[in-house]
Amino acid sequence: MSEIKLLFAGPMGAGKTTAIRSISEIEPISTEVENTDFAESSKAETTVAMDYGELTLDTGHKLRLYGSPGQRRFEFMWPLLAEGALGVVVLLDNSRPDPLADLADFLSAFGSQIGAGRVVVAVGRLHSHPHPSLDDYLDAVASRGHFLPVVDADVRRRDDVIGVLDVLFEQIQTVDRASAASDADEWLQLVQRARTQ
Amino acid sequence: MTQISRNLPLALKATIDEAVRSLHQRVPAAIGCVIATVDGRLVSHVVDNEADPPRIAAMIGSMVALGETIGREVRIDRSQYVVVNALNGTLLAQRVPSRKELFVVSTLARPTTNLGILLHETRTTAAEIGRALDEWLDRYQAAAAAPVVT
Repeated sequence: MSEIKLLFAGPMGAGKTTAIRSISEIEPISTEVENTDFAESSKAETTVAMDYGELTLDTGHKLRLYGSPGQRRFEFMWPLLAEGALGVVVLLDNSRPDPLADLADFLSAFGSQIGAGRVVVAVGRLHSHPHPSLDDYLDAVASRGHFLPVVDADVRRRDDVIGVLDVLFEQIQTVDRASAASDADEWLQLVQRARTQ
Repeated sequence: MTQISRNLPLALKATIDEAVRSLHQRVPAAIGCVIATVDGRLVSHVVDNEADPPRIAAMIGSMVALGETIGREVRIDRSQYVVVNALNGTLLAQRVPSRKELFVVSTLARPTTNLGILLHETRTTAAEIGRALDEWLDRYQAAAAAPVVT
């Protein structure tokens, strides 16, 4: 069975480490250290290199789950961790000061994955902080010329994280089908052109 | 709470700055020395080449944490230091040993520098900064515990 690499990205405190802990079947590998930047977040600890966990699907495929550090100063890690990833889950925290700006930052950072349609946006703490709404996120994504699924998720709950991954896989399959159909169209046009010549 | 917030206490910052300058002078063919918080924020630096100190700070934070994680994972216990031995130089990074391990120190030197010297001098500076941090923590905690006079 194949192995599939997925990346959890997003700002500090959005729940990347928690999401991986919620679903990993192995003890996750963590690089959490003491947080010294209380202006950024009141969290006691923060991930500075990566998180890693694993989950085997019913199909036998193994998911290799990577989490990135969230602070902008660690952006050098983002492309390293995204390399070879089938898809990216962008986790956002609606209680942060400007979550739509966080969205814009991470959509820019993972532009190549977004271009390939392999991204899902999951928003946490929507119930305690209802603004911006999911519609606001969808509008923000659409304004950048993308169509990406945006879902509500409490990453402390395993079912929610699994649900986010389901949406991501749906998204990837849809994109792949569209791409295959597009390839088929191109082939058909080539054959028709050959016949008319 | 013993928070080291964005702004370090001035006396501690001055001690760290002096320790970095001294380390840079003691290491033969040193290219730079950087102190960062364990979560990758720049504290103090002397860097002679075009490398960007804030980026080095973030990277050594990641590198030391990853080294320690790998050490635990392969059951060789906690890593003492991490070395990058490149064609045109060597970078050594380690945690500052203290009651509250908040800093990492790194030294960058040309390939002519002996690794043993690099390790010795970096370790000496780390210990010096660690002592300064412990003394500051003692003073901070004593002040916090002192009765408030109204």
